[in-house]
Amino acid sequence: MQPKTFAIILTGTILLFVLNLIRREKMSFKYAVTWLVSSLLALLFSIKEVWLQAISKGVGFTLPSNFVFFLLLIFVLLFSLLLTLYINEQNNRTENLAQTIAKLDFRLKKLEKDGEIKS
Amino acid sequence: MNPKILLIIPALNEAGSIGRLLEEIKTTFPQADRVVINDGSSDLTAEEALKTGTCVANLPFNLGIGGAVQTGYQIAHEQGYDIAVQVDGDGQHDPKLILSLITPILEDKLDLCIGSRFLDHDASSFRSTAARRFGIRFFCHLLKLLTGLYLTDPTSGFRATGKKLNGIFAAYYPVDFPEPEAIKIAKRRGMRIGEVPVQMRERRSGRSSIRPLATLYYMIKVTFAILIDLLKKKS
Repeated sequence: MQPKTFAIILTGTILLFVLNLIRREKMSFKYAVTWLVSSLLALLFSIKEVWLQAISKGVGFTLPSNFVFFLLLIFVLLFSLLLTLYINEQNNRTENLAQTIAKLDFRLKKLEKDGEIKS
Repeated sequence: MNPKILLIIPALNEAGSIGRLLEEIKTTFPQADRVVINDGSSDLTAEEALKTGTCVANLPFNLGIGGAVQTGYQIAHEQGYDIAVQVDGDGQHDPKLILSLITPILEDKLDLCIGSRFLDHDASSFRSTAARRFGIRFFCHLLKLLTGLYLTDPTSGFRATGKKLNGIFAAYYPVDFPEPEAIKIAKRRGMRIGEVPVQMRERRSGRSSIRPLATLYYMIKVTFAILIDLLKKKS
């Protein structure tokens, strides 16, 4: 098999997989958009590898494969940074929720104690 | 008019000692309201507290001391308390000293009053292990360097706060190992901070949330947090 065919099949599969995840509502668009864009780009570059070669030469890479590895590394790094941000946001939200529940619990107990409502 | 005082008592698995502590508080300081923040205990902490007629705020899971104490400050803030006092649920803090802790705030001399183990040179009181004393001294100097304020016991969790600071802490309070960072936050917001001497007792049961091995992590984490606080806005 030609490397080009192999690359097209692989990137095409990933793209379809992501699309399917969105269709089945396993992933919301907000989180899928990074994957969509990157798999689209990968598919585009495996079809038009001359574009990839031109760009990699343009930014000073001797080997296009090095350029691809570099792009991958940057993508993974950025994506893990984004995920850290999301986790943090989720953490803050769950903490707020827990505190709100505790405060409601406190007020309820107080009302019960003061006899304003029955437990 | 009598000031409204709330005692915030964070507790994690303190079923063995919380009941006695609350009874002690009821007799020595009956004029204050009490709230036990049950930080996801797996034992009967909440039930033991309720038996003494103390209201309990149950967190659905463990948030850590910062999240628990902040819940207390939120209650104090939302229900319009004039003074909030943090008292550890393990019985280390002597309820008889609450009055001396809140006096500077009642007299409007301080916004944050910390109970210090090291102000009073009484050798009989419990002063923690050597490793922790080293950590405490480190924070004394760090805070002095960054804020110009010298405190003898910046890690003490026995502290009273006035209304303004309750609002500030309700909105933002550091997550774990919060005490020194909370001082830095209060200082940045222009609060008046001081100390009164207290004696602390050895814990009756359970174990401290700060283990010896964690001391180093504690120091690095809190130092970093205090330095980051330098970058935050003054107001």
